[in-house]
Amino acid sequence: MIEVKNVCKQVSTTEGELQILDDINLFVADGETIAIVGPSGSGKSTLLGILAGLDTPSCGSVVLNGQDITQMDEEGRASVRAHNVGFVFQSFHLLPGLTALENVALPLELNGDREALKTARNYLERVGLAHRVTHYPRQLSGGEQQRVAVARAFACKPTILFADEPTGNLDTGTGEIINNLLFDLNREEGTTLVLVTHEMNLAARCNTTLQLQAGRQMTPAENSKDTTEKEN
Amino acid sequence: MFSLKMLIRTWRGGELGLILWSLILAVAVVTSVSLLAERIERALTQESSSFLAADLVVRSSKEAPSAWLEEALSKNIETAKIMSFSSIVFFGDDLHLASIKAVQPNYPLRGSIKRSTTPFSRDPALIEAVSYGPEKGNVWVDARLLPLLDISLGDSIDLGDTSLKVTQILVEEPDGSSYSFVGARVLMNYADIPDSGVIQPGSRVTYRYLMASDDQAAFESYVIWLKSQLDIHDRLITPDEAQASIANTMDKGRRFLLLAGSIGVVLAGIALALASHHFASGQTKQVALLKSWGISARRVRFLYAQQSLWMGLLGSLAGLLVGYAFHHILLFVVSEWLPITLPSAGSRPWVIGLATGLICLAGFTLPALWHLPAQSPLAVLRQDIVSKPVNSLVRGGLGVVAIAGLLLWYSNNIAVSMAILAGFGLTAIASVVAGLVLLRLGMQYGQRLGSVWRLALANLWRRKTQSLIQIVGFSGAIALLMIMVIVRTSLIDQWRFQLADDAPNHFLVNVAPFELDGVRNLVTDNDLNTAGWYAMVRGRMTEINGKPITDVQKDSHESFRRELNLSWTTVLPEGNKVTKGQWWDTIDLDEFSAQSTAGEIIAPVSLEDELAGELGLVLGDRITFSVGGLRFEAEMVGTRSLNWDNMTPNFYFLFPEGLLEEYPRTSMTSLYIPPEKKLLVNDILRQFPTVQVIELDKIIDRIRTIVSQVSRGLEVMTLLILGCGVLVMFAAVSLSMTERLQESAILRTLGSSRRLILGIQLIEFSGLGLMAGLLASAGAELSVAMLQHFMFDLPLSLHPWLWVVGPLSGALLVGSLGVAYSRKAVVQPPLEVLRAL
Ligand SMILES: Nc1ncnc2c1ncn2[C@@H]1O[C@H](COP(=O)(O)OP(=O)(O)O)[C@@H](O)[C@H]1O
Ligand SMILES: [Mg+2]
Repeated sequence: MIEVKNVCKQVSTTEGELQILDDINLFVADGETIAIVGPSGSGKSTLLGILAGLDTPSCGSVVLNGQDITQMDEEGRASVRAHNVGFVFQSFHLLPGLTALENVALPLELNGDREALKTARNYLERVGLAHRVTHYPRQLSGGEQQRVAVARAFACKPTILFADEPTGNLDTGTGEIINNLLFDLNREEGTTLVLVTHEMNLAARCNTTLQLQAGRQMTPAENSKDTTEKEN
Repeated sequence: MFSLKMLIRTWRGGELGLILWSLILAVAVVTSVSLLAERIERALTQESSSFLAADLVVRSSKEAPSAWLEEALSKNIETAKIMSFSSIVFFGDDLHLASIKAVQPNYPLRGSIKRSTTPFSRDPALIEAVSYGPEKGNVWVDARLLPLLDISLGDSIDLGDTSLKVTQILVEEPDGSSYSFVGARVLMNYADIPDSGVIQPGSRVTYRYLMASDDQAAFESYVIWLKSQLDIHDRLITPDEAQASIANTMDKGRRFLLLAGSIGVVLAGIALALASHHFASGQTKQVALLKSWGISARRVRFLYAQQSLWMGLLGSLAGLLVGYAFHHILLFVVSEWLPITLPSAGSRPWVIGLATGLICLAGFTLPALWHLPAQSPLAVLRQDIVSKPVNSLVRGGLGVVAIAGLLLWYSNNIAVSMAILAGFGLTAIASVVAGLVLLRLGMQYGQRLGSVWRLALANLWRRKTQSLIQIVGFSGAIALLMIMVIVRTSLIDQWRFQLADDAPNHFLVNVAPFELDGVRNLVTDNDLNTAGWYAMVRGRMTEINGKPITDVQKDSHESFRRELNLSWTTVLPEGNKVTKGQWWDTIDLDEFSAQSTAGEIIAPVSLEDELAGELGLVLGDRITFSVGGLRFEAEMVGTRSLNWDNMTPNFYFLFPEGLLEEYPRTSMTSLYIPPEKKLLVNDILRQFPTVQVIELDKIIDRIRTIVSQVSRGLEVMTLLILGCGVLVMFAAVSLSMTERLQESAILRTLGSSRRLILGIQLIEFSGLGLMAGLLASAGAELSVAMLQHFMFDLPLSLHPWLWVVGPLSGALLVGSLGVAYSRKAVVQPPLEVLRAL
């Protein structure tokens, strides 16, 4: 569950105050999907960062699973991230020295999970990379690397998954595979999905769409689809 | 253990390579330098120990308390007793006042005695080296005793109540130079002393206690204990004192090893600092990722600290092994240069190596990583968010503290540490300031040059922080290397110069006035040149400040009891330096002559500095001398230090001209006698029996060997440090490589030619190298001046060639290294390059 009220973000630059986000409001229920769309530079990543607790808003509040993360210190937010949040990034962010398997297992190992490798292998199978577990990122194509990243994100069993233009660096065909994976896993695991994209057809697959234009919310976050669909 | 796993993975990813290699090499260089230095040092000490026939000698005018020997025995330290005295030996009606030396059979503890059964033979095949003295009942004697007593080998001579059989000719005693004797040497067994009955209460006997041990720790603790037991009758003699001319050379050699090792430490530190900086900037992404997963800053710090510790331990251990192997390879390479087998090293080099690794890591790597935990996790979304590294001044300061600590500990010498730090520090500061100016100039000037130049010089300016760090690294390394080479060269030159092939190797002393012409003719008939004749008179000190010399004084120093050589000169002899008081040119000599009263003159006298100290004399003291029954008084007006490096005559007591000429005098000189004319010595001895010939040729040969060994040791060290410098260059070059390769790959994608890409890299790197070389020349010049002045006692000299060689070699070395490194960008497909980054 994500609840955002009156969030804004200003930063001071050499040219004075810069308003990046202005009065954002939205609500995403557990297991729902939301697309944040808008042109480049409209503040999508900034908003995602604030929602995920990586950054703090200048005003307003963000409540994740009933916890107001804007009232917390960095330690508190880190703990929320550790227990609730997963990420998929545009540029994959795999560690070059680790194999696909180790990349997926790393966050689990950091949490002291004894079954880390087993779980990791399981998720790699689910993204269709069972045969590439011992390969290093540089031996994998971009699409394969992103699939590893998706496996890594889901392996931690987050309640909310944040994806910042996960297909931004990929061609359309490969991007499609990643998108399908994200939606499939989301459905199977019951994860809430926050997806930043500028592809409108992708946004159409989400329950809700939030359109940003120069940091402003163009439409109230609304259900673009019948909520009953996801229960199917 | 998880951190170890992470470390191994990071290493596998290739990010640790440079830092780990720097660490390994840093430790390896310091370990191998220390190992080599310590082993060479021990070899030198051993060599000089042989001049003393022991590691340490206590000279005393009385028998030592038995506690000394018991304590030595309990610490497993070998001892040998020597008694030396003058006594008359007889054969039939012939007699001679011989210089007797009674030794225990285990004498000498170090070095060897050369003996022969053929009198006056110089044929090495007929000379035997042994490490024991004569058996009970036998004596080994100076060849010249044979004609003096008209005996041959196998005859027995009488000493007191015993009769001793002459079985060997004594050719050389290892510690011969530490005795001053007039009569022919008779070496006998200590056990024969009681039977001879020559030692009576009140006899003037000098005792020597020789001590040696291979267990350095035990020996040192014994020496400390022993020092607390000594009184004014006893004097401790170390190998350095035993042979002043060697001591000086070895001391400088030792200092050079120290310098080399210290420079190695600094270079290692720079390499590690550069590598750590490089490593840290590569870690920000990973840290941001970890933090986005909710890993707390504290946990991140802990993880990195643990990894650093692992890296420090593993890297240092690997470094120790590599260092050990390295020093063996070096030894192998120079084995024909180092004929002596080197003694093995102690634990110190290992401890130093390990500590270098850990301290460098703490001083350079930890500060470089310190800011990482503060990295904002937001960086996973935005590329431009990079947490600020700890202020580079603070980091620099920490690095300097680490290095200064290491240097001080390593060299145990503030002067060396300061000179190196000052030289490097100034080079670094100058590099930052001048580097900025040069970069700026290059950028502006480059506008007018071709496109490659413009691009390259603009790139350097754009990356100015990195460029500056690189310039500091390069110039530091080049400067330190130049310091090494210069100091090494000037040291070796100086040694070569002072031990010229025709340096005097014989002294002729005690030449009576009526023999002078004869000896002179003999010398010139053999086409030889003397270093000039010095006249001297022999006299004793009888009173100090009007009070007769006491027995205590006589016991405390032999100069109070024997005849001294008093000489005169107008000019200060070459190599002498006035240390206190005055020389003749600043005092009114007439005033001294005017003080003459009732046939007694008061003369000004200049003493050798250390002797004056040992005798307890201060400026203004009046000394009464007795010369052949005549008395005169002298006032000590100054002291001098002597130069023992070249074998010219040195005088402890010098007077102005015109005061001593009336006393019976003898003459002395030094000259070079080539080996093929060595028999001249016999001619002189036969024709002029009272003339004494002091043969230094063997000692000089030994000095030459030692000097050449030390020189070679320095060469090896220089090579090693050069290797270390290249490592620094490597670290500095790789610093900007990721970025450069990326840019090159992009240029390549855009279709740029191989020539353009490599051209840009060549100009950038040789430009950096040129600037660094220029700055390094300045730093090296300054540092060398400091070192020459404060540490090596060398004359100051400027090195114009530096200013050419520095920039040129800098440009060449850095340029080629950079291009070699960036070749990857043009031989591999651009996509592969980009993906590998
Ligand atoms: N800390 C900051 N300082 C200055 N400008 C910022 C900062 N964070 C974001 N911006 C600016 O805000 C705008 C929105 O950025 P971002 O959220 O990354 O947009 P999007 O992801 O929609 O492309 C951009 O113009 C960006 O340059
Ligand atoms: Mg964005």
